[in-house]
Amino acid sequence: MNHAIALAGALIGAGLALGGGAIGAAIGDGLAGNATIAGVSRQPEAQARLQSIMFIIIGLVEAMYFINLALGFYFIVGVAAAVGG
Amino acid sequence: MRSPLGYLADAAPGTHALLPVCGNGSQSLNLVALRFYYCGITIDTLVSTLIAILVTLLIGWLVVRSLQHGTPGKLQMVLEFLLDYTRGLVRETVAEDAEFIIPIAATIGMYILIANWIDFFPLPAPLIHPANADLNQTLAMAIVVILVVQGYSIKVLGPLGYLRRFTKPFELPVPFRVLFVPLNIIEELVKPVTLALRLFGNMFAGLLMVYLIGLLISAAASGPLLVKPLSAVGIGLLILWKAFDVFFVGTIQAFIFMLLTIIYFGMAREGLEEEGHGHDPHPPAPVPATGHHVS
Repeated sequence: MNHAIALAGALIGAGLALGGGAIGAAIGDGLAGNATIAGVSRQPEAQARLQSIMFIIIGLVEAMYFINLALGFYFIVGVAAAVGG
Repeated sequence: MRSPLGYLADAAPGTHALLPVCGNGSQSLNLVALRFYYCGITIDTLVSTLIAILVTLLIGWLVVRSLQHGTPGKLQMVLEFLLDYTRGLVRETVAEDAEFIIPIAATIGMYILIANWIDFFPLPAPLIHPANADLNQTLAMAIVVILVVQGYSIKVLGPLGYLRRFTKPFELPVPFRVLFVPLNIIEELVKPVTLALRLFGNMFAGLLMVYLIGLLISAAASGPLLVKPLSAVGIGLLILWKAFDVFFVGTIQAFIFMLLTIIYFGMAREGLEEEGHGHDPHPPAPVPATGHHVS
């Protein structure tokens, strides 16, 4: 019984972490895209440079989410291994 | 029939076969639920690291062997472009005379890029694991980078200037700057951790997604007739994800690791720029007044 509760808690926690992380990453991507669109509409000739910068920023922003995903998974596995014996 | 979670916990990516070096193999630090081994090596990471290093060296050797001056080959052109880009970045972000950073940054970028791209090939999983999907590997690289950065900072700013750097921001009065010391120390300590976790998290999450899509494929293939076509969708998804993960995420993360390395080197000489305002120790070479151009 305790094992089931621990597993359920781990899964719910990981789900919350993934959901919150996804919200943050999405907002960050949106801000980066927003700024890029504004920059390109102001200076169309800078599009190539702005795009490469945008991809770098998106890489940085998404990294936080992927860290979230990886660590969330690690904790699920850790809890499952601990309670499952 | 095993539950999906049991299956996940059993053969999950990220469980590395451990070879104990000293102590008995089961000795570990039990922290919360995870077990951290402090004395052992992960063979799969070492093997894949070795492969990535060999491929990197091989490419370098091939380029050097067929080095041409006038008409460079394709590989040489790509590498020259990368090196040129790194050089420009270092000169812009750090300093003109910080030549020793260029090989460090370029090697890190090349190695991570190749290690990430090697994941594209279906390698035997238990022995060969994507090198950067192990926190030990990325943390080792990040710690090396940060130690070199600290050394460079002490060399450039001197021991006192190095300590003074921890009282950023410089324009505030002294009592306020003391308040910032703990923050600056935390910032310095967090740098290698985020550097390592970023690369590790991306690579590991990619592996995890491949694993989950694989579960979907096998679950759909063994399901009722109606769900069987889903496994074909899963295979398409797998190909798409693998290409995205390796060629987009892998490339960008390798580039970001390199970029942040250079930026950390640039941050390591922060106090210097303010004091040296106005009297540049290396003034730009005077432009020759004669009319002929130097190409």
